[in-house]
Amino acid sequence: MSFKITEEFRAKADKLRARYPRPDAALIPLLHELQREAGYVPEEGMDELARLLGLPYSRVKAVVTFYTMFDREPVGKYHLQLCRNISCHMAGAPDLLAHLKRALGIDEGETTKDGLFTLSTVECLGACGSAPVMQVNDGYFEKLDTAKLDALLDDLRHGRVVPGGR
Amino acid sequence: MPKITIDGKTAEVAKGTTVLEAAQQLGVYVPRYCYHPKLPISGNCRMCLVEVEKSPKLLTACSTEAADGMVVRTDTDKVKTARRDVLEYLLINHPLDCPICDQAGECGLQDYYMEYSRAKSRFPNEDKVRRQKRRALGPHLVLDNERCILCTRCVRFCSEVTKTSELEVMGRGDRSYIDLKEGKALDNGYTLNLADICPVGAWTSRDFRFKQRVWFLKKTPTVCLGCATGCLVEAHHNKNTIYRLSPRPNAETNTWLCDRGRMTYKSVSAGDRLVKGIVKNGLIELEPALREAAARLDEARDAAAVLGSPWLSVEDNSALALLARALKTENYSFDFSAEQGIKDGILINKDPAPNTAGARQVKAAAGGLSFSDFAKRAASGRIKLIVAEARAAAALKDELKAGGAALVVFAVNRGEVPEGAQTTLPYASYFETQGTFVNYQGFSRRTRPSVEPPEGVRPLWAMLTSLASYSGLSLGLNSGDDAIRGIKK
Repeated sequence: MSFKITEEFRAKADKLRARYPRPDAALIPLLHELQREAGYVPEEGMDELARLLGLPYSRVKAVVTFYTMFDREPVGKYHLQLCRNISCHMAGAPDLLAHLKRALGIDEGETTKDGLFTLSTVECLGACGSAPVMQVNDGYFEKLDTAKLDALLDDLRHGRVVPGGR
Repeated sequence: MPKITIDGKTAEVAKGTTVLEAAQQLGVYVPRYCYHPKLPISGNCRMCLVEVEKSPKLLTACSTEAADGMVVRTDTDKVKTARRDVLEYLLINHPLDCPICDQAGECGLQDYYMEYSRAKSRFPNEDKVRRQKRRALGPHLVLDNERCILCTRCVRFCSEVTKTSELEVMGRGDRSYIDLKEGKALDNGYTLNLADICPVGAWTSRDFRFKQRVWFLKKTPTVCLGCATGCLVEAHHNKNTIYRLSPRPNAETNTWLCDRGRMTYKSVSAGDRLVKGIVKNGLIELEPALREAAARLDEARDAAAVLGSPWLSVEDNSALALLARALKTENYSFDFSAEQGIKDGILINKDPAPNTAGARQVKAAAGGLSFSDFAKRAASGRIKLIVAEARAAAALKDELKAGGAALVVFAVNRGEVPEGAQTTLPYASYFETQGTFVNYQGFSRRTRPSVEPPEGVRPLWAMLTSLASYSGLSLGLNSGDDAIRGIKK
């Protein structure tokens, strides 16, 4: 899949870059922007960002592979990211994970055939007070149980809920 | 200047000196993996932890600046325990495949384990993190990510020395590994330095792989003749075979060595190595070849000419000058010039010949024609025969065609011999004999023999002596040094 940086992206990049004293400081915000635009971080995108910021490609890839929030493969319309750390684990996350796998018919790291859902487990989302937590795209869904999950999946399928951003 | 005490020894060190460097000056060895004197400090391996008075924690000696009144201990129980712990961490996921690892015998993990740990591993073999093994990355290297301890020396080498920045640490935690862009080759002209600076067996040389156990290798200090830079190197050899070249770091010329320079040893046992003479295009034994060349010399006599070479040592060029003197010809030249200087900002010289400056020294002592006058005489037909080294003679291709002079050349490999050479004679390569070379900085350096030349093949000055004697001339040479002395008379 070929990826080209748009003029709007370039304009955003210029603005972001101006905020920092060093060009490499703009890398992470630009990767977020790239992922928002392309749905994931494609290989060509990493090349383009390296060129744009005057960084070696290897530096960009090192950052992308370090952070789990950057996807190197396309994900579904809704990226379900279930927390697997201690608080959520004790509040029943393993059951929720099993439930999601069953309900969607996919394993961790996979995407449903209709391209709607990708299922991942992630490290602590920083919302232990309302465990168990799942992040869908940029929005948080907290104090979950299997019934709430089913309702959420249904709402997402029918576009009744649009996961918010921060 | 800060005064620092390490293990009871006190010294004043320059401001900015690190504790590790100060320890080195005081003769105290601090173990290290990521520290390298010619690379930026990283401080990631933790092997150099030392105890500093009034500091609550151990500090990394490589990244702590020596301060006035600092009292450091490297021999306390706390330090010893820390070293053992660091080694245990580094070895948790290490595959322990030393029996099939080329690094064995010169491995930082092996050496430090014996010196500082000797503890039995508490981690089961089956739980080790598996990573990619034996990936050929580029023309010279194999990468084994399982053996890597992530010291990042290779990453820093590529970003600071070659400034190509191909390598980085990818991933995080125990899933970290060294990698470069998918599908790309690591080929920046200096890659084999990674095999040298890698403290473990992660980077190994494709050329050297599985050829020889390092503890069998003998090391002979010599000089790289790959270009006019004249880097100091060490030839590693065993049983009359050279297996690799590595740099001898020095302040004047080189810390590193380029990939092309490292491969120059291959000419010694290459398939086209000359061990006999060639007349026209047929191989013949050495003696008849010498007689043939002498007969040609007799025919030409005062129409004979001698050409020196920037590829030959001062000794061998001097012997050629003495031949010209014995022939009583004025047709000889040691006048070579080439633009000199580092062309890539690292080591590779603009002048591909190793001894342009040395040949000029011979010219200063023995005189002779300028190269252009020599070429003109060759083209005019006044010269009937030229005795020369193969690569120098190749520069006269057009003149030889125009003037029709016959060519008697000396060559190490058949590939060097220019087309149309009448007689070709072999000589001992500078891995087999000593020779003086003057590099672009004016440093006079001597090669030293690591291996024996093939049977019957002798240094060029000795081959010339035989050639002259078959022609009824005496050069009076018993050594290369005699030749240098001879031209000064």
